[in-house]
Amino acid sequence: MPHVVTDSCTACRYTECVALCPVDCFHAAEDRLYIDPEACIDCAACVPVCPVKAIVDAFDLESRADELIALNRQRSRELPVIDSKTAALPTAEARRAALGY
Amino acid sequence: MTTMLAQDATVLGACPHDCPDTCSMLVKVANGKVTGVQGNPAHPFTQGRLCAKTSHYQERVYHPERVLYPMRRSGPKGSGQFERISWDEALATIGERWRAIIKADGPTAILPYSYLGTQGIVNGLTVGDPFFNQLGATISERTFCDSGASTAYVMTVGPTPGMDPESLAHSRFIILWACNLLSTNAHLWPFVDQARKQGAKLVVIDPVKTGTTAMADLHLRPRPGTDGALALAMIHVIIREGLVDRDYVDRHTIGFDELSAHVAQYTPEFAADETGIDAEVIRTLARDYATAQPSAIRIGVAIERSAGGGQLVRAIACLPALVGAWRRPGGGLLQLPLWAFPVRWDRLHRADLATPGTRVINQWKLGAALTGSLPLDPPIRALFVYNSNPLVVAPDQLRLQQGLAREDLFTVVSEQFMTDTARYADLLLPATTQVEQDDLMFSWGHLYLTLNRQAVPPQGEAVSNAELFRRLATVMGFDDPFFQRSDETILRESLDWDAPTMQGISMELLEAQGYARLNLPAADVFAPHAEGGFPTPSGKVEMKASMAAGGNFVLPTFRQGYGELQDGSPVPALPTYQPPRESGIRDAAPGARHPLAMMSPKSHSFLNSSYANHRRQLARESEQRLFMNPVDADARGIRSDDLVRVRNARGSFVAVAKVGDDAMPGVVVAPMGYWIASSRAKATPAALNPTVLGDLGGAPTFSDNAVEVERA
Repeated sequence: MPHVVTDSCTACRYTECVALCPVDCFHAAEDRLYIDPEACIDCAACVPVCPVKAIVDAFDLESRADELIALNRQRSRELPVIDSKTAALPTAEARRAALGY
Repeated sequence: MTTMLAQDATVLGACPHDCPDTCSMLVKVANGKVTGVQGNPAHPFTQGRLCAKTSHYQERVYHPERVLYPMRRSGPKGSGQFERISWDEALATIGERWRAIIKADGPTAILPYSYLGTQGIVNGLTVGDPFFNQLGATISERTFCDSGASTAYVMTVGPTPGMDPESLAHSRFIILWACNLLSTNAHLWPFVDQARKQGAKLVVIDPVKTGTTAMADLHLRPRPGTDGALALAMIHVIIREGLVDRDYVDRHTIGFDELSAHVAQYTPEFAADETGIDAEVIRTLARDYATAQPSAIRIGVAIERSAGGGQLVRAIACLPALVGAWRRPGGGLLQLPLWAFPVRWDRLHRADLATPGTRVINQWKLGAALTGSLPLDPPIRALFVYNSNPLVVAPDQLRLQQGLAREDLFTVVSEQFMTDTARYADLLLPATTQVEQDDLMFSWGHLYLTLNRQAVPPQGEAVSNAELFRRLATVMGFDDPFFQRSDETILRESLDWDAPTMQGISMELLEAQGYARLNLPAADVFAPHAEGGFPTPSGKVEMKASMAAGGNFVLPTFRQGYGELQDGSPVPALPTYQPPRESGIRDAAPGARHPLAMMSPKSHSFLNSSYANHRRQLARESEQRLFMNPVDADARGIRSDDLVRVRNARGSFVAVAKVGDDAMPGVVVAPMGYWIASSRAKATPAALNPTVLGDLGGAPTFSDNAVEVERA
């Protein structure tokens, strides 16, 4: 199963992950990122660099794995690829603290 | 060697798997256990990335089905029933049985069987060679992977590392030929991607639709086994249309005039008829490849897997010289850069210990060798398997099962898991995973040495391969201290540290950063053959190969360092098209006996059969599938998700059909790696694979395989 971006990205959008992705599988919305599950090769390079641990292997999700994959797939089709780092959202620090990181 | 292991640490490791990428890994240890691994972000080639196989390596280490103790069979062969015994008892039993066999039939009645389940200078390809060469056992010819391509490559350009993989970033035109890069060589992709983003054109040649072909500007799908016609037609066009770099050819090649006359027959129309690719597309490909300099070709290990795979590589190896691609960084051919490493193969194999005249058995023939189908005197009485799972990777699965079931065959298997092969062992020995051992890795896909330090103690009573052979040497009374060398001694003695490529590299450096690039020019300026200097007999690219005069051969690297008793059958000196043997596929209509061509490529999440017993990887790969084109599926009344039986005269297996364009018409695709024990019909694609070898270097012909498919 591919890696997915979870809701922890919302209001953060740190984008450390996108520069590491070898296959440009991240897509950016205004508030967060998504992974195109068809493009992801499961190299896992993005996982440790996310400050809020928002990226997980769908295999490790206890529930809603299929739902999250479908969401990531659908939004990726609608949104542009992001392949270089941008500034985190202004709300990122507060959101990060709220998530406990 | 006893290492002081920290309870909590990040240890520098290296991926042990049979892959060109040999990743530098950071192994996280907490309370004496591996809690996770990640790619080493500092490594310039692997860049912090791992893959779908290894990103959770700790799940392999602590897998509930690890073999942790020596075990003796307690049920029928193949039943998987074992009882725990001590190492002392296991070793004493091996010694006793082998001595009796040697006394009765001589040491060649013992056959070692191994490959690259674990890579590494200490525990990899050659770890058992000194022992078995000393023992006088039958020489094991291990032509599992790239041997055929290597013979062809060496005949043409010599054992050169070829172009620097990282220099692909500077290519203007890239052909990935028989290579699903994103699944099997993924860490090369960023360099290809960089070139693309700077305007390079990417062509992928592969009958199968893959993640890699989806990235290509042009995806060409030749009928399986016909690529030789395509390569030769490219040569034809390049010569006929005056696209040859005459200066480079004059100074750095031999045989051009003969080649020029020889390829007159290989017109684009001829190639179109063979491959199914339009003649005009072939012309354009040849022109673009010749004129967009520097141009690069990366060939995958799959390229050799049909009747004419060797001659195909001969033709491809001529192309960069014809167009002068070698002149600049980013130009040339990338096959197997392991030749860059100053490895002391003599110390690793110790072929000097082998008894002259000892017979050789090619490992693809194991089923035949164990069942009396090869004329063997003495027959094989004992089999020792390590670093390999032949029941899933070797052809002739049914016959191999019959052979392994022989009551009079004494089989020892060293393994991490109860594989399909391990089930047939009389004695099963527990093997360590990479985090439980030390090693130093060279690579066959980049130019870095990578150090692997032990992170945790061996699980249970598992031992490394190097330790296993130290113990066996003691049991067999080998008193040469060579057989008791420590891991540290092996890794230090097996490289030529004085070689120019090793200048500036020390163990201290490796300990500090985990890797070191060979002392070669940087990729943006490195053009190893800009001024020729090919390590062939003539020092030039041998379009007409002088080595062909000696007949067909396997590089000693793939046969325990042993050079005797080579095949020697005639080899054309000029690259010559040889059509597929089985996969003619001119008539894919049902009713023809075996009308479909089957390919069984590597799965994205398995490394051959490794990881096909892991829940995470199985969740991604699902169960055994068979990809079929709608044309062939409709003709047989097959729909997606139907169970289908795939069969030919050698065997059959059952799969879930997936109908779509992943497979081209006339071709079915069955990703390999799944285990027999968990398969639907107790068989996997290897049951159908032919045992016939390709034209050069003992290559298998698994992509040259005719089958039929029906609803199960």
